[in-house]
Amino acid sequence: MFNALRTDQLLIGIGSVLRAAADRGAALEDYERSQLLSAYSVARLLAAENVAAPAMLAWIKGELEPVLGDQEAQMAEAASSIAVGEQLSLLFEQMPVDDPRRPQIYRILREMADREVAALAAIPE
Amino acid sequence: MADHEKIDERKGEALLACMRSVGSVSDDARVTYLEQLQGGWSRHSYITEIKDGDRDLSCVVRARPQGSTLDTDLGQEFRVFELLVPESLPTPAVHGFVADEDTPFDGPFFVMDRLPGKAINVWRGRDRAELQADWDGGRGIAKDHVDYLAAIHQIDASRAAAAATPRSFLETVDHWQGVYEENRIVRDPVIDESYRWVRANQPDPVEPALVHGDYRIGNSLIEDGRISAILDWELSHVGDPRFDIGYMSLNYHGGKFTTPGSELLNAVADHQWFAERYSELTGRPLDPDVVRTFSAVGALMLVAIMTTGLRIYAEHRTTDVRLAWARFVLPGIRQDLAGIMNW
Repeated sequence: MFNALRTDQLLIGIGSVLRAAADRGAALEDYERSQLLSAYSVARLLAAENVAAPAMLAWIKGELEPVLGDQEAQMAEAASSIAVGEQLSLLFEQMPVDDPRRPQIYRILREMADREVAALAAIPE
Repeated sequence: MADHEKIDERKGEALLACMRSVGSVSDDARVTYLEQLQGGWSRHSYITEIKDGDRDLSCVVRARPQGSTLDTDLGQEFRVFELLVPESLPTPAVHGFVADEDTPFDGPFFVMDRLPGKAINVWRGRDRAELQADWDGGRGIAKDHVDYLAAIHQIDASRAAAAATPRSFLETVDHWQGVYEENRIVRDPVIDESYRWVRANQPDPVEPALVHGDYRIGNSLIEDGRISAILDWELSHVGDPRFDIGYMSLNYHGGKFTTPGSELLNAVADHQWFAERYSELTGRPLDPDVVRTFSAVGALMLVAIMTTGLRIYAEHRTTDVRLAWARFVLPGIRQDLAGIMNW
């Protein structure tokens, strides 16, 4: 959800590894094989993430909406999970430690983490 | 790659010059094999074989490349290896250190003995099964894993401080938070709140000890059902020894990635068995709540390192795609942190 590196950056990275392997034209060393396997893994995980992303974003916004009250409008406008993360970080900075909304948001974030890990495990065929 | 012509001559000459400078090899020594190993995010490792008269040496070159995920001092790591030589621990002898940034290894490097054994990867099912078999059987690996940790923590801290930097709990948290905030590309409310949580759960201090800093079975080598080497000391420092226990207790280090890993601590030993044996060996009881706090600190250290890698990758300072891959490790660590904090 709150992950750096965009899809386009990752795709370029995968392509660069493939190109380097093609250019080598000789047996790969251990390190180069590990680069290819990592690129393969990035491709699969990115596919899983992209399949789940729209539903994940809608889910967390839906969960946060009744908890946040006056912050609701801003959160509803968040167009990406990165924007949601940004707003929550800013909100926590301003929120008193004993604000009753904290444990509610924590519960949502924990479920978000569970859902995100499960989504990454569901690599599309 | 036994073919001598394929060896990078500049690297070969550089490592021989390093070894000659401390008298480890003669002027006649030559490199017969040199290959970069996979693994190592902050350090690059090369295995090398050297012919020196009648002697055949097998060594490892450990280099800190430009664009490393860790801004740690390779010289300190070298000094820690030197510190460990007289100890009853399976660590390699070292053969010289080159501090220059401009070397054929793309940065400073040192040479050390290559110890026998194979590396374990707890994120591979068959490796976890091997560790489970050890636990269900003779427990040679499990016993070594705790016994060696206890031995590390009992090294004279004042002697260790001559090699490794002393670091208090808050200095550790400040350090990793600083690294994280300097390098993060996006905001993450789970990580931000985790820093607040660990500061609110600061444990009472104990006598400082040498802390490995990245103690897990993956940083050991295994041979004949025993630990044959303890490696990767770049995060070592003198501080709270409970950090090592908390760090290795992370579910991530049990082999969890997108699916659960082993229920054993670090995929090696039952949590309670490990804690009891460690306490017996060191005379230091382990408070589970304190271990939990250090698990969170350890997770935040991993996040900071991986975040640094993502920053380096995003700025095209490396082409190492493993740094980009680490992006997919972070959701699982975030999940671990949420559990540790009882969210």
